[in-house]
Amino acid sequence: MDFILDYISVNTFWTILAIVHALLAVALLGAITHQAAAVLAPARAGAAEGFVTHFRAVSGPRYAGAICVLWVLTFIFGAWIYTRYRVHVRLPIEQEGLFKTLGAFELKEHLTTIGLGLLPVYWYLWKNVRNAAYTSARKWLTVVLAAICWYAFLTGHVLNNVRGFGS
Amino acid sequence: MSAASDTKAQTSSRIGTFSLVFGVSFAILYVVCDMGAFPMFTYHPGPDRFDMGFTPPRRDEGPAMYWYGWIANSAVGASALGVLAALLPEKIRIRIPLALAWIAPVVLLPVLIYSLKFYWRWE
Repeated sequence: MDFILDYISVNTFWTILAIVHALLAVALLGAITHQAAAVLAPARAGAAEGFVTHFRAVSGPRYAGAICVLWVLTFIFGAWIYTRYRVHVRLPIEQEGLFKTLGAFELKEHLTTIGLGLLPVYWYLWKNVRNAAYTSARKWLTVVLAAICWYAFLTGHVLNNVRGFGS
Repeated sequence: MSAASDTKAQTSSRIGTFSLVFGVSFAILYVVCDMGAFPMFTYHPGPDRFDMGFTPPRRDEGPAMYWYGWIANSAVGASALGVLAALLPEKIRIRIPLALAWIAPVVLLPVLIYSLKFYWRWE
């Protein structure tokens, strides 16, 4: 990868990775929020055709594969920029004494990792969407993953505001 | 049900058992590796070096990272448990509750929050 640094600065390189990580996270957040809404409050037949109805009327199974791919890609980019974060972002935040911010970020790292490990069973449950025995587990696992995704997104956003691009 | 669909259902069930046990045990093993400091390897981002197992940070080399090593250990352990579970007879496999897939992360959340107690300080 060193040849890239012949054309762009080190800061620009890591900033591009952080932006890609953020864009993938936005796509993941949107997809999993739609899916969670669809399983928590599915659109009823004959319901008024408003924004909320359309928001929750998505086909959950169609989102499952994309969500798995987006989670893995977002995770890979996050794991990549984590090395830069550990040296150039975390140490200065420690010196500023912002320990709760660091703790919240550590929790994000733990939860997204656990979410990564749950993707195979998530994918399996959505692949067998016609099996009624899986409905409850599929619904609540989707909600848990969506909650993890929201927490991770907001924590990442806060940390980026504390010390993000160009660090 | 035909023989072909029987075979498919059985395979599908084994995949389902593997994925369920993998996910649940991955989550548990990850928390154990985190709290017990059991990484498969340690990465030192300063000198860009890997050491096997747990290695404390060295003087003038910056911090050491264990997160990747925890993930590796958890993935290997969870894969082994998942394969073993998938090999169990069907009458045992069907008794593994699917709800564990979402209950495990919910139960582990307070444990993780407690493991980070160092950070929750008021100043």
